[in-house]
Amino acid sequence: MALFAPAARDAALNDGTTEALRSQVAAKWGEAFARLNRAEPGIQGLMEFSQAWGMAKEYLRPRDIMNPADVRPDYNISLIRHAFDLVGQSRRLPVLLEGLIEQTRQAFPLVERTIHYHLQVYEATEPRDPREIARLVQALRRWYDAWLPWSELGVTICGTFTLHFHTLLFAALPPSFITGFKHLCACTLPNIHADSTVPGSADNAALDNADPTHFAFRIWDTFDALGMLDRYETVIASVGYEYIERVMRATCAGVWGKAVMPELRRWVAVRVKPWLRSVYAKDIEDDQAAMTAIQTVSSRFDFHVAKTLCDLRISELFDIIIDYPDSAPCLEDIKECLVRVDGRASLVQALRKANRKRLLHPGADTRLILQQYVLTIKCLRAIDPQGVLLFKVADPIRRYLRERPDTIRCIVANLVGGSGDSEDDILGETEPPAPLHQPELEDYTDPNWEPEPLDAGPDFRANRPADVISTLVSIYDSRDLFVKELQVLLAQRLLKGGGDAPEKERRNVEILKIRFGDAALQVCEVMLKDMGDSRRTDVHVQGQENLGVLHPTIISRHFWPAVEGAEFKLPGQFERLQSSYAKQYTLFKPDKKLRWLPHLGTVSLELELEDRTVRVQVPPLEAAFIELFSEQDTWTVPALIERLGKITRAAALKALLTWVNHGVIKETEEDTYVLLERAESEGGQGDARKLQAKQRLVEQEAGAGGGQEEGREEERRREEGRREMDVYWKFIQGMLTNLPNLPLERIHAMLGFVDTYNLTTEQLAGLLDAARREGLVDVKEGLWKLVIK
Amino acid sequence: MKVKVTNWNAVAYWHWDVASAVDDFSGEQEPCGICRNPYEGCCPSCKVPGDDCPLIWGECTHVFHMHCLLKWIGTSTSKQQCPMDRRPWVTADAGKSS
Repeated sequence: MALFAPAARDAALNDGTTEALRSQVAAKWGEAFARLNRAEPGIQGLMEFSQAWGMAKEYLRPRDIMNPADVRPDYNISLIRHAFDLVGQSRRLPVLLEGLIEQTRQAFPLVERTIHYHLQVYEATEPRDPREIARLVQALRRWYDAWLPWSELGVTICGTFTLHFHTLLFAALPPSFITGFKHLCACTLPNIHADSTVPGSADNAALDNADPTHFAFRIWDTFDALGMLDRYETVIASVGYEYIERVMRATCAGVWGKAVMPELRRWVAVRVKPWLRSVYAKDIEDDQAAMTAIQTVSSRFDFHVAKTLCDLRISELFDIIIDYPDSAPCLEDIKECLVRVDGRASLVQALRKANRKRLLHPGADTRLILQQYVLTIKCLRAIDPQGVLLFKVADPIRRYLRERPDTIRCIVANLVGGSGDSEDDILGETEPPAPLHQPELEDYTDPNWEPEPLDAGPDFRANRPADVISTLVSIYDSRDLFVKELQVLLAQRLLKGGGDAPEKERRNVEILKIRFGDAALQVCEVMLKDMGDSRRTDVHVQGQENLGVLHPTIISRHFWPAVEGAEFKLPGQFERLQSSYAKQYTLFKPDKKLRWLPHLGTVSLELELEDRTVRVQVPPLEAAFIELFSEQDTWTVPALIERLGKITRAAALKALLTWVNHGVIKETEEDTYVLLERAESEGGQGDARKLQAKQRLVEQEAGAGGGQEEGREEERRREEGRREMDVYWKFIQGMLTNLPNLPLERIHAMLGFVDTYNLTTEQLAGLLDAARREGLVDVKEGLWKLVIK
Repeated sequence: MKVKVTNWNAVAYWHWDVASAVDDFSGEQEPCGICRNPYEGCCPSCKVPGDDCPLIWGECTHVFHMHCLLKWIGTSTSKQQCPMDRRPWVTADAGKSS
C-alpha cells in the first residue's frame, strides 16, 4: 500500500484541486509515510513494516485443523513478537485486528460444520448421549485453541479474538445445543439414588453410561474457555435447581414424619456444594477460599432448596393437615422455609383452593369439615403463631360452616360428648376448659405489644381466642344458638339415656358452665334437677303402691325443648299403669297433675307367645301396637291408627315394621297384619323387605326424607320458626295499624327494638311477602300497608 | 299372646292443677297475672320451677306465683287486694280453687 502512495499523490496533484487541499494531502501523506517508515533511511522502514505485516497476518490466519497440510508452523516466538511490535509501533494494530476479525468470520463455517455434525449425531442417537455434546465442546475447544494467538502478544489481541470468536460461536449454536448442554451439565452432578423413582429414566440411563468424573474437571475449563460459563450461567443454575427439585421430589414428597430441612442442608453441603465448587471455583485449591468464592452462588442454591421445599409442602399442605399430629415435624420445616421464602401468600391461596375443592362441598360431612378446621387451626398456629395465615385460610371455612344447618349440632355434640368417648372427639382437646374468650379491646399499655404482621388484613384481629372451642363457637355471632342446641341435645340424651345418664350429663353441664357461664345453662340445670326429682318421686310413689315397671321422668315443660309431638292414647295395661301412677302422683303432690307424653321414652316388653318368648325394648308406639295385637290377632293399618289417635301412617308403618322384623306379626294382605303365635321360619324376611319398601314410599309421599327421627326434628324446627314469625307478625301488624304505609327498612329498624329480633332484611322481606300472599298486607311502591278486611 | 311390661321409662310433664289449664297440648295457658310467666315457669326472682316456686290460690279464684303475689301484697299500693279484681286478697284453703 505504501508503495502506491506516490502515484496516488500524483493523481491527486493532477486533479484540478485547490492549492490548500493539495498541501493538506501532502501533509497527510508525509505523516503516514513517516509513521510506516519511522526514522529509517529511504524506504527501509517501509520494507520492514511490510514484512512484519505479512508475517503477522499469516500468523493470525485461522487454519483448518481438519486439514493436516494447513497447520500453523512452529513460529519463532521472538520473531512474531517483533513483527507485532513493529505493527504496533506503526499504529497499524487496529487495522490488523480488523483483518483478524474478518478472517475469523470468513473461516467460521469450518467451526459451524463441526457444530452441525456433532449435534446431528447427538439428536440421532436414542437415548441422547451427552458425551456427544462433550465431544462437540472439546472440538470447539480445539478450534479455539488453534486460532487463539499467543497470550504473550498482549491482552488486546487475545481479548479481541476471544470476544469475536465467542460472538460468532454463540450466533452459530442452534437452540438445540442448549438442551444438549443442559444434559451434559446434568451428567456432571452426583447421580441420584438408583432406586429412587425419578421421572425421566432415559436421562438416568445416559447418566449411568457417562462417567461424570471422566470429564467433569476438564469440561468446566473448556466451558470457561469457550465463554459458556458466563453465557449459560442461568442454564447451569437451572440444571442445579432441577437437580435439587428432582432429588427433593424423590426424597421429601410425602415424608412428613420428620423435619427434612437439616438433612437437606447436610445433603447440599456434601453433594451440591462440591459440584458448585467444580463449576465456579475450579482453580482454587484452598477449601476455605473456594467456599468463599462460591458464597453467593451457594446461598442462591440454599434459597432454592428452601423454596422448593416450601412449594412442595404448600402443595401437600391439605394432606399434611389431615395427618396432623403425625405430620407435626414437617410443620417446623414449613415454618423455617416461610421465614426465608416469601410463600405466605401462595400458602394461603393454595390452602384456600384445596379447601374449596376438597372440603367445602356438599359431599363432605360437617363433622369432617369441623375436624379439618380444628386441625387447620392447630397446624397453622404451629406455622404462624400470630395467626394471620389462619385468619385468612379460616375465613371461607367459617363462612361455609355458618351456612350449614347442622354445624351447631355438630359442635355442641362435641362440646358435650368430647373428652370422654374418643370416637366422637374431633377437638382432641387437652387444654382444661376455660371461660369463652371475649373479644377484648387492644391493651395499649401492654409492654410486650407487637405490631401486626405485614400481611395482616385490615379486619385481622390479633387477639384471636386461644382455645379451639372458643374459635368454633365464634363461628356464630350469637352464643344463644349454642345454648339452645345444647338444651335440645341434653334433652335427647337425658330421655334416651339409662339410669346413670344424669350423672354423666351433670359433669358435662359443669364443664359447659365454665365455658358459657352459669346463667346460660340455668335451663340445663333445671332439666337435671327434674331428673333427680323424678327419681325421688318415683321412689315415693312406688312405696305407696307398687306399680313396679313404670318409672316416668317428670319434666318441667317450659324448661325443656319443645317436646310436643304426636298425641296418641296408649291402650290397655299401659293406660291403666299411667292413670294409677298419675293418681299416686297427685296424692303425693296435691296441687300438681301429670300429663303424659306418650311418644317419648322406651318400654321393655316380654311377649309370651305359644312357642317362644320375645324380649324387646321398643318405643311406646310399638308397645301400643303389640298391646292391641294382644287383644285381637288381626288388624288393619287404618284400624290401628284410629284406635290410637293422631299418628301418621309413616310412623304406624315403621312401628309395624319393627314387629315384622322381630317375627311377631306379618302382613297377610295389603294393610292387614296378623299376629304370629307360632314363629314362621320362611317368608318373614321377604315381608319385612316389602314393608320397608312400602314405608319408604309412604315417607316419600309425605315428603319426609330420611328416618322419622329426622323428620320430627325438621318439623320441630319449622314449627319453631313459624312461632317466631308469629311473634314478629304481631309487632308488624301493630306497627302498620298505627302507621300505615311503611317501607321495609323502617319496619326492620323498628323491629330492632325487640330484644329477640334477629332477622335480616331479606328474611323480613320474605315474611312480609308470605303475609302478602295470604292477603294480609299489600305493597305499593315499596310501602307496606295492612289490607283492611 | 301375653304382653308383659318389664320396664317402662315413660315421660310426662307436670302442671299445676289450675282451672284455667287448657287441655290440648299446644294451646297457650293463661300466665301468672303479675309476672306474665307461665305458672309452670317460675317467677322472675326464682330459677327453679315447681315446688321451689309454688302458686297461691285466692278465694277469688285467681292464681299467682306465690312470690309474685307476696311481693305485691307487700307494697303499700296493693291495699291487700287481689291485683286482678281488687277484692281483698284471701288465700284459698288447701290450695284448691276449682
